[in-house]
Amino acid sequence: MPEINRNDPSAGSSILEIRGLQKAFGDSPVLKDISFSVSTGNVVTIIGPSGSGKSTLLRCASFLETVDEGDILYDGQYAVKSGVYVPKKDLNRFRMLFGMVFQNFNLFPHYSVMKNICEPLTLRGIDKEEARERALSLLKKMGLEGKENAYPCQLSGGQQQRVAIARALAPEPEILFFDEPTSALDPELTGEVLKVIRQLAEDHMTMVVVTHEMSFAHAVSHRVVFMDGGYIVEEGSPDQVFVNPQSERTKRFLSNYKQ
Amino acid sequence: MSLLTMITTMAEGLGKTCAIFFLTLLFSLPLGMLVALLRMSKNRIVSSVTRFVITVLRGTPLMLQLLAVTYGPYYLFGFSVSRNKLIPVVIAFSINYAAYFAEIYRGGIESIPAGQYEAAAVLGYTRFQTFLRIVLPQVVKRIMPSVTNEVVTLVKDTSIAFTVSYQEMFTIGKQIANSQTSFTPFLIAGVFYYVFNLIVDRVMGRIEKSMDYYK
Repeated sequence: MPEINRNDPSAGSSILEIRGLQKAFGDSPVLKDISFSVSTGNVVTIIGPSGSGKSTLLRCASFLETVDEGDILYDGQYAVKSGVYVPKKDLNRFRMLFGMVFQNFNLFPHYSVMKNICEPLTLRGIDKEEARERALSLLKKMGLEGKENAYPCQLSGGQQQRVAIARALAPEPEILFFDEPTSALDPELTGEVLKVIRQLAEDHMTMVVVTHEMSFAHAVSHRVVFMDGGYIVEEGSPDQVFVNPQSERTKRFLSNYKQ
Repeated sequence: MSLLTMITTMAEGLGKTCAIFFLTLLFSLPLGMLVALLRMSKNRIVSSVTRFVITVLRGTPLMLQLLAVTYGPYYLFGFSVSRNKLIPVVIAFSINYAAYFAEIYRGGIESIPAGQYEAAAVLGYTRFQTFLRIVLPQVVKRIMPSVTNEVVTLVKDTSIAFTVSYQEMFTIGKQIANSQTSFTPFLIAGVFYYVFNLIVDRVMGRIEKSMDYYK
């Protein structure tokens, strides 16, 4: 793992770069000075207790929340500079660079699996046939062949989440965010979703995964970030963080997961 | 007057009853959406004014509103809305029903989970596309039972047009009842409304069923 120079946005290989991010909901600060970056082809997992700001960080990166202060850069270009966003039209250009997978899938219930995947593509001007082909090949990859005409309510949670992953991948984003992708699933279904994410990691998909699945994080990530109280407390290789954590807070948190 | 004459005379007014019914739906259903959007406006003046108007429209009798629209302009400005009573009737009904539909729409729109908007935003949907393609179809499904309720009420409310002597079925029935000192026309009117609503129920049931393919 090469060390990333966090002060240089032109470090080239970093697709996402966040600097000095601050975010408060009303009077309560949720993110206090977060800096972090993701290199192309890497998998970064973010772990930490509830309320530590993990999900908010992802939601800021995907423009679902507006930041108060700090920079967000994609491909070395400013989407947000010192808390100021680029114009809406340009923001939409940045939106095409990332995809997002939610805890509750958020599939469109009134659309078939096929339409869930295809409509966002055709609205972005992609040809209908091309959209269909992409959808079919992604569904195959997700182990969902033959499900294209099903409606979300006819699928299990694990299947729904895999459709959601296919939908997020279909616009061919450069980076994929996962916000606790298995937290709404029972253990049996968790496995099938994690397997798919693992497979994406093997294909060198750039991903940021907020998760409570520690063994998965250990196995799949290039880098692990531990957050608490709106700060990044510790980050490093999976072995550094899981086997030899430096901070007392990290040790205490991880002790809950080791029986 | 024979029973058959009563029935046929009253049936002649059914066309006007239907006119009130369909025209009111035609105008109040979309108008209700506009009112709902104003009610949910982020501009606090717009939303509170709309809210006030809704409370007035829902908090006073439709009959009173109908009288106000029909005769109000004459007393205030010395002119009538129109010789044809259908126009003030449809205006009063449409505005009144729009207020009820607005609150139904608002309830439906607010029941759509935030995650639907978020997924659409990340996938590049504009706000307008999100509303039209993602939110609205789900709202329609959710509010159908409440809308059916209002539509059934509207069928019966058309009888209120008798207060301005608009010659729809119930007004004619009431006139016959007076002139013949008979209660029969009211029974006939009851049967007419009941059958009308049986049809409404069927149609609305069909529409609801057509959206059964998802939860």
